[in-house]
Amino acid sequence: MTIFHWILLAGFVICLLSCLYHFFMALPAGKDIDYATPDAKTRQAVVYSFTKAMSPKKKETAFMHLPTYTAGIFYHLGTFLSLFLVIFIFFNVSFPTWLAYSIIVFLAFTSICGLSILIKRMTSSLLKNLSNPDDYFSNILVTGFQIITAIYLLLNTGLEYYFIITTILFLYLPIGKLRHTIYFFTARLHLGIFYGRRGTWPVKK
Amino acid sequence: MAGEKVIIMAKNNSLTEKQKKALKLLKSRLNGRLLTHLNSCVHCGLCGESCHYYLATKNKNFIPGKKVDIVSSIYQRYHTLAGKVAPRLYGAKDFNDKTVEELIDIVFGACSMCGRCSVHCSIGVDVPYIVRTARSMLVEMELVSPGLQSTVDAAINTGNNMGIPRDEFVDTLEWLSEDLEMEVEDEDASIPLDKKGVDILYTLNPREPKFFPLSISAIAKIYYAAKENWTLSTNVYDVTNYAYFSGDDKGAKELTERLCDEMSKLEAKTLVLAECGHGYRAIRWEGPNWIERPYPFKVISVVELIGDYIRSCRIKLDPSLNKLPVTLHDPCNMVRGGGVIEVQRFVIKNAVENFIEMMPNRANNFCCGGGGGQLAMSEYAERRIKSGKIKADQIRKTGAKIVATPCHNCIDQLMELNKEYQLGVEIKTIGELVADALVLEEKSN
Ligand code: SF4
Ligand code: SF4
Repeated sequence: MTIFHWILLAGFVICLLSCLYHFFMALPAGKDIDYATPDAKTRQAVVYSFTKAMSPKKKETAFMHLPTYTAGIFYHLGTFLSLFLVIFIFFNVSFPTWLAYSIIVFLAFTSICGLSILIKRMTSSLLKNLSNPDDYFSNILVTGFQIITAIYLLLNTGLEYYFIITTILFLYLPIGKLRHTIYFFTARLHLGIFYGRRGTWPVKK
Repeated sequence: MAGEKVIIMAKNNSLTEKQKKALKLLKSRLNGRLLTHLNSCVHCGLCGESCHYYLATKNKNFIPGKKVDIVSSIYQRYHTLAGKVAPRLYGAKDFNDKTVEELIDIVFGACSMCGRCSVHCSIGVDVPYIVRTARSMLVEMELVSPGLQSTVDAAINTGNNMGIPRDEFVDTLEWLSEDLEMEVEDEDASIPLDKKGVDILYTLNPREPKFFPLSISAIAKIYYAAKENWTLSTNVYDVTNYAYFSGDDKGAKELTERLCDEMSKLEAKTLVLAECGHGYRAIRWEGPNWIERPYPFKVISVVELIGDYIRSCRIKLDPSLNKLPVTLHDPCNMVRGGGVIEVQRFVIKNAVENFIEMMPNRANNFCCGGGGGQLAMSEYAERRIKSGKIKADQIRKTGAKIVATPCHNCIDQLMELNKEYQLGVEIKTIGELVADALVLEEKSN
């Protein structure tokens, strides 16, 4: 293990602990007790919240903005894939050439998706009005992470740069907007519980 | 005026006592749910089209994400390390005069807390919950919109939000009771007042005795047909709870406790709520949390009760008595925020010949623009009417001649929209439609 391995490992541990902290703080507990008698089963609603309610057919934010929505989905897939690849790169596991090239092409595409979202944020007056520097930085960081993952797989060199960028990503993730990695799940959970108790999700007959 | 009060606050970074109180309240409310929603928005900006304020005005500050952002930015600034260390990077904002003024305009003047955006949000941010939290902060600063505050004050000080004196209320009900007796040609028919040991304690929106007594007559006729054992209280009858809208939990609790006390005083079994969207949500769903205990009685909407009457054949309806095409406006707090979604459709379909759904509907319905206490805040009236254009367009598209809605608040707004956008429709409660379709049993001997 090189010093960069250790740095990355430390970054990962800090990230994990911070994320766990955020996650447990955001779970329903204590002051979240709801004294109103529920009208329906919440478990079903929580499942609905994570599944059907997320379907692009149900969400205006998806079906009215299909290009952005699709770009967002691919961008997130690229991020998850890159995060998954950290394990392999950390342990120096090599891929068959066809697989490596497939991943590179996919990550190139998802990075373009990320860049297109960044350009939209920089040019749309509505988004500029809503954005703060963290929104731009987070996008650049994540897109950069995908690009450097692809470059490393392609050239098999520059491991130190890859480790540094990945460490920065890990350290930044729980602080800025990227913390929605955790809060997305608790938001769906809380919304599912909220609409579930009341019988709004799924509709009480 | 709220604006004047803002000016006397201390400059920028030095927090006034009131600002400190507001931040303290925010801190005290930081449970898992609030933490989640304050931290979730990704600023994707895709929610504009879900909000009638943005759709009608195209004002960039009215997209739901922006409303979340202003509250979240204050939270970031005072309750997160990142916001304290690098506020600019995270868009964390000082809680100063400018922010407070912006906050007032956004949370009182540009959001009806309808929750439509939450259903469609990319993440699932509960926008009305955040907006109400911000309103509660403004309660701490005594910066609630004056019209809304006076509605809450009237309810707390006089027992009903319109300040109707008890004698006047009793007179109206006695007159309506005599009317009912004549209409159904039965001297036993009446509107029972303060009767003990009943199955049902019925509540009213004070606008009914004041301006729309016929909606009370309609429900009384339905109760008569169903041979219901019911009563109205002459002391505690107000179904509304504008403290829910203003963000005043103490006031909301006080109003809820009064209803609970009246239920036990009259030894009633079920509390039946008049057709009122926010009243349903406030009493059915929020009330137990304000009083921090579950109710020892059942709470239902009168629409649910009518649904039960139809299913159990306690009342008989003839839809041919309502020939004109009818559409339904779903009140946000009763439907999306309350879960009463299908029963009003079942009732209307049994009461009218031609029912046309408005599109979109149910949990996707658009707010009429009158929710969130907007009707009480005259300073935002122009914006309210403008934002109602989305609803007016929806109504026009149905081609219906009658718009039914189980909410008196919505009725007020729909009446204004009817006039402003020349819709040429009639606005009715569900109870009125049902009463018009009632087939009364011939009284034997
Ligand atoms: S709750 Fe309703 S009014 Fe408020 S931002 Fe969301 S859609 Fe708009
Ligand atoms: S859709 Fe949701 S996450 Fe996106 S800007 Fe609107 S409130 Fe924020």
